[in-house]
Amino acid sequence: MQVVIGQILNGIILGSLYGIIALGVTMTFGITGIVNFALGEFMMIGAYATWYFSDQAMLPFPVAVMLGVVLAAVAGLVADQVLFRFTRNNLVNGLLVSIGLISVMESGALLLFTTTPKSMDAVVAGSLSLGAITLPRMKVVVFLLLVAVIGLTWLGLSRAWLGRATRAYAQNPEAAMLMGVPTKLLQTGVVVYSCALAGFGGGLYASLFSLEPSLGGLFILKGVEAAILAGVGNLLGALAGGVILGVTESVGSLYLPSAFRDAYGLVFLVAILLFRPAGLFGSQR
Amino acid sequence: MKISLKGFFTGTLLAAAIPNLAFAQGIVKLGQIEAQTGPNAIYGFMSSQGVPVAVDEINRGGGFKVGDTTYKLELDALDTRGDPKEATIDLKKLLEQDKVKFVFGPFLSNVFVTIYPYAKQFNGKFLMLGGGTRIHEYVGQPGNEFLIRTWNWDAGPKGFGERMVDYLVKTAHPKKVAMLFQNDSAGKILGDTYEPMFKSRGIETMTEYFEPGTKDFSPVLAKISEFQPDYLFPGYSDAALYDIVRQSIEGNYSKKFFLVRGSTGPGLKNKDGLEDYIVYVPKDFEEAEKNDPKVKHFIEAYKAFYKRDFPYDQAPLCSSSCYDHVYMLVAAMQKAGTVDDVEKIRTTLLGMTYQGIWKISFDDHNEQVFDFDIVHLKKGGAKEVIHVEQ
Amino acid sequence: MKTLLLLIPFYVLPLLVQSDVVLTVLIFTFVLSILAIGFNIVFGGAGQLTMFHAAAFGIGGYVTFLSMLRFGISFWLGFGVAVLVVVVTSIVIGWICFKFRLKEFYFAVVTLAFAELCRLVALNWNSVTNGTLGMLVLEKPTVWLPGTGIVKIEQTVPWYFLTLVCLTGILIFSALLMRSWIGRNFSAIRLNEDLAQTLGIDTFRYKLLAFTISNVVAAFAGALFGFYTGYIDPAYLSVTQSLDAIAMVLLGGVSTILGPVVGALVLTSLPHLIELPAELRVAVYGTILILVILLMPRGIVGLVSGLLRGRFNAA
Repeated sequence: MQVVIGQILNGIILGSLYGIIALGVTMTFGITGIVNFALGEFMMIGAYATWYFSDQAMLPFPVAVMLGVVLAAVAGLVADQVLFRFTRNNLVNGLLVSIGLISVMESGALLLFTTTPKSMDAVVAGSLSLGAITLPRMKVVVFLLLVAVIGLTWLGLSRAWLGRATRAYAQNPEAAMLMGVPTKLLQTGVVVYSCALAGFGGGLYASLFSLEPSLGGLFILKGVEAAILAGVGNLLGALAGGVILGVTESVGSLYLPSAFRDAYGLVFLVAILLFRPAGLFGSQR
Repeated sequence: MKISLKGFFTGTLLAAAIPNLAFAQGIVKLGQIEAQTGPNAIYGFMSSQGVPVAVDEINRGGGFKVGDTTYKLELDALDTRGDPKEATIDLKKLLEQDKVKFVFGPFLSNVFVTIYPYAKQFNGKFLMLGGGTRIHEYVGQPGNEFLIRTWNWDAGPKGFGERMVDYLVKTAHPKKVAMLFQNDSAGKILGDTYEPMFKSRGIETMTEYFEPGTKDFSPVLAKISEFQPDYLFPGYSDAALYDIVRQSIEGNYSKKFFLVRGSTGPGLKNKDGLEDYIVYVPKDFEEAEKNDPKVKHFIEAYKAFYKRDFPYDQAPLCSSSCYDHVYMLVAAMQKAGTVDDVEKIRTTLLGMTYQGIWKISFDDHNEQVFDFDIVHLKKGGAKEVIHVEQ
Repeated sequence: MKTLLLLIPFYVLPLLVQSDVVLTVLIFTFVLSILAIGFNIVFGGAGQLTMFHAAAFGIGGYVTFLSMLRFGISFWLGFGVAVLVVVVTSIVIGWICFKFRLKEFYFAVVTLAFAELCRLVALNWNSVTNGTLGMLVLEKPTVWLPGTGIVKIEQTVPWYFLTLVCLTGILIFSALLMRSWIGRNFSAIRLNEDLAQTLGIDTFRYKLLAFTISNVVAAFAGALFGFYTGYIDPAYLSVTQSLDAIAMVLLGGVSTILGPVVGALVLTSLPHLIELPAELRVAVYGTILILVILLMPRGIVGLVSGLLRGRFNAA
């Protein structure tokens, strides 16, 4: 029993990492009408940048993460102006451009860092023990940070003017434009922000796991799954979707061969899409 | 590293035009097919790095002499990207277009299995020196004389695996060992190879496979911990090992590790948390650099050639068809007195013992046998290197 | 149809070119073109973005080989079994997706999910598929030729002609299909599904048909590929394989007949024509993809036929 609880907790933490990517996916889809598959690569930028500044340049971890976020955001801006600007609302083109971008960014990472895995020294070492369950402290820290950022994003979107403008645009683009919402700026802003989110996730990822240029691939897939699970367009739902996915995988792997780990999420996803196509928390549009 | 075809032709024409050199000049072509890039580049990276260094050294030294002719080496190193389809085309290029007689690689098993039927058609016309795990199934059998495996095999009388397990039993007397491998070709073979080795020594085992690309091992480690193993025996790629070792220690699952693939890196990174870490490394380069002049020379040559730092943790992978093997092949050609007679070179090579960075010889299965190190890390990072002669 | 005449040089090529390497690259091109054409039928034809074609590709390879092994039948009969399996799978999956009215993006995701599930099955069903170790295919397809009787296809040149003939057949099939009333219904669905529905077209049935035909063609490519390379493993069913096919179609020209072939030709031969440090090659591949999407949305074939039409008009 203790083992199961331990895995539920683990799944929740892992799920929050999926969730922040899912948030990026859902925001991008809602506002720019495409799925940015390359978000995994922006996560990679954040991760490698954090590793570099923390491990090689010996800067304090929070500074390294901030730098990672900034780099990811800048890269997102460039990508938006050069590429995504031309694929607004064109799902297929956006998808394919993202895929091309993935190849370019991954080979960049390969050239800079090679396939040799990079590993950071523990930032917050040690583990917490609750009975027979041991949780590494850093994992808890990461979880709290991710939830905080996701929560702040949600808060910003529901209270701040820019946030409300974004939601207005998502609901009715033409009306929003007529009301004076700067749509082009908004779209670029959302792309940059979602890349920054991914970069933040990457920075935290670096503190827990080893880095390879291909790390983005797994997380974007999970992020998309989580976003769809929750209902694309639902922001807090993105976190919930990620958590559900994480828990399903972790607990599922306890009982069934871990080789099937990825399958649980997929099966769950298909089932949800068939019976509640708007996602678990989505509303029919 | 490819000298362009145009350049080669121009060079040949020029060489023919210059009348009567005192000694005849020749070229011996070497081919290489490894995954230099792509998701599995970690297995082709080091070999594809080491061979050019050797070729460059030999050529700058004026080449090598066989009989009256001085030969230089020309290397055509093709990147398969780990893709079997690419590899087929690359090998065709080497064998049919460039008429290469000596091919290094592949290290990747899935690449090898795909190109094997094609390569077999050229049996007798060339030599393939590769390190892939699955080459073991084909090497030494009639019709496969072209095949030579350039890596120790785990099992068998000269198997390094048996020695490793002996060492583990001698130092730790474990009763239960849990194996955790990647769910792919090589992982499966490791599982099949080592289970009997433990069983025959009365050690209880359990084997779990994880999906390649997994980063979070918590669930499977939790599953394994219910078995309460004395030692955890995890998979073969550093990418997974860093995470497995760290998470196993952090989660309070298992703190004693036994490895036959992978590097000392994961152990060193987690040295304060672990209790025991026993790993097979073909050579501990940091240690060896201090004591062995040949190793020191190789490291310096590498740094000078690539103008970058030496990858100490990747270097052990160079034990397969890399720097040493170029020199060994050249030595075989010199001893056999020919650069064309593939069969003669083959028998000479297989009968030789070569002392380079490693001491290399071949067993009667045409598989390489070389000396290796066991690195034993204890809590806190105290390192003991045990050298095992074969 | 006249565009098919462009294939004639390929029939003559082996007489002029001795290089086995070139023929091999072309064999791969032809087989992958078949896969790309399959994808184009459902995407360029009926407008449905699917990620299942790699799974069909893999199923085609595995089932054809396994049937030959278990039942001792010929390659073509073995492929017949594969067709049955793929048709049933496509109908089940297609029925699930289309009945639930999955749109665009969700359809792509669900087909991706099913493809991944198929891959995981191939990966773990060790007793049947040998799992990650894959299977060595030592059998070869046999063809009956007038005069020589039954011939085994083993060497490069026979494989070249076999794959070229198969490609020609598939091209003719796809051209006829797109021009028929079935094909026109596909186009109607692609251009405006709701309108097509109101016009009385049973979109459910046609989408299902397009999906099934597309997967059968992909399976054919898989069988040829597996038997040519002599090795089948679960990587056949990977997402990357699907994406490669999509890239070929896009590059060559969506909704055109020859587009997939052109795309396959360019992308298969590119790595061997460009001498680049290997890491950069992947970057170049990605950049080409991006440039094509942004600048040449109608692909190479679209661009070329646009230019030709422009010339004729100007005259």
